[in-house]
Amino acid sequence: MRRWRQQILEFFFPAETDRWLSILRVGLGVQIILYCLSLWNDWIYLLAPTGQGLISRNLAESVLGVESIVIPRISWLVAAGQCLGLQNEAILWVVWGLLLLGGILLCIGLFSRWAAIGTWFLHLCAVKSGDLLVYGVDNFVTIGLFYLMLSPLPDKASLDWKIYKPLAQNSELLGFFRRVLQLHLSIAYFFGGLSKCLGGGWWDGSSIWRALIRPPFDVLSPELLVKWKYLFPAIGIGVWVIELGYPFFIWSKRTRLIWLTCVLLMHVGIGLFMSMYLFASIMIILNLAAFGPGLIRWQSDPPSGSEMLPRKGALSA
Amino acid sequence: MGEQLPVSHPVRQFIAGYEHLAGIESSYGYFSPNVTDSCRLVFEIHYSDGRIEYDLPSVGSHAAGLRFSSLLDKIRLTTDAELSELMIKMLTYAKWQEHPEAVKIRAIFGEMVLPSVDSFERGGHERFEVRQTYEFVIKETQ
Repeated sequence: MRRWRQQILEFFFPAETDRWLSILRVGLGVQIILYCLSLWNDWIYLLAPTGQGLISRNLAESVLGVESIVIPRISWLVAAGQCLGLQNEAILWVVWGLLLLGGILLCIGLFSRWAAIGTWFLHLCAVKSGDLLVYGVDNFVTIGLFYLMLSPLPDKASLDWKIYKPLAQNSELLGFFRRVLQLHLSIAYFFGGLSKCLGGGWWDGSSIWRALIRPPFDVLSPELLVKWKYLFPAIGIGVWVIELGYPFFIWSKRTRLIWLTCVLLMHVGIGLFMSMYLFASIMIILNLAAFGPGLIRWQSDPPSGSEMLPRKGALSA
Repeated sequence: MGEQLPVSHPVRQFIAGYEHLAGIESSYGYFSPNVTDSCRLVFEIHYSDGRIEYDLPSVGSHAAGLRFSSLLDKIRLTTDAELSELMIKMLTYAKWQEHPEAVKIRAIFGEMVLPSVDSFERGGHERFEVRQTYEFVIKETQ
């Protein structure tokens, strides 16, 4: 029983370096900057209240309000801003600007903790008030920011570390948050793959064809695509095999590199051939942070430091 | 979790709140079990002189276009007819602001039925199948 407990603790609290956290912080910073820039033209239009934009944010907020009163939303910020005499549009631009600033601060690692908390909160407000307009990318950015703000920041690659020179890092806590991220991705891919393998379209390749000609993902012309039709069944099966097999093959050191490469190539493909650049980038960032470090041995790595396997007796008293 | 509790129950509110804060409120079954048809909204804009124009919803970037596509999917999946009509009405109102001289707008919501590979090779193309139409008459007081 004690051995089991020890093994569980060693699994959940392996001693880790902070390289994964640096990848996550910088990656999410870049992701937030891209998010802000991609919505520059439509920011007000998408988040305006009733009668002033594409669809009312009040509608999404009303639905959310029924679900839970603690979900952050833009109207909280608007109410606070109006106390300072700011109008709705000005407040929305302040939110946009602060989000962009949060992304930049995360990239350089300045005020890392507060930047992570603030960016998570503002991004969540924007996503939840625009809940009718969200898709997968927003969920995964929220997941990434949620783990980032809870993780033991700052990391050694950040400006914070160079300026404030903290005493030490809790390597077991770093290991714990990386493990949670790894488990989360494993669960997400497993169920994504499982639900795809239940649909016949992913066996005969028709889902690949449909995904690639379906507006607004129709980057390539159907005339060009149809020449490659014999590949569709293999690609369709390949997609769900990669996803379903993720929790089984990503953990083993022998298969991790090949599986991670396959997953990254799959997301690069989604980005290029379906023009879902932001979705591709967040998935690549999360995968690299969760399973990237340790695959390549860096010159500065401590010779005995294991990135993936729990250090023997790391938690024993 | 807690779905059997009343919506206003603090435990259910807390669980739902946590799920949203952590980004885990939705499932991960994108494009599954199969890829659905793409939804489309077309506006038939009527003017006082009898002229009729057709237009599509417009956004300013590809990134917003992806989000708009997600909104149309949500409208399709909404089981509450009043809610889906309300969403279409809001989108129609946004379109009317681009055409303030319009007197009536018919919003035609439907699906682009995609051809199979074989059908495409035989000359088949995507076709628009109407699911619902809504007619909004614009009054001066609006």
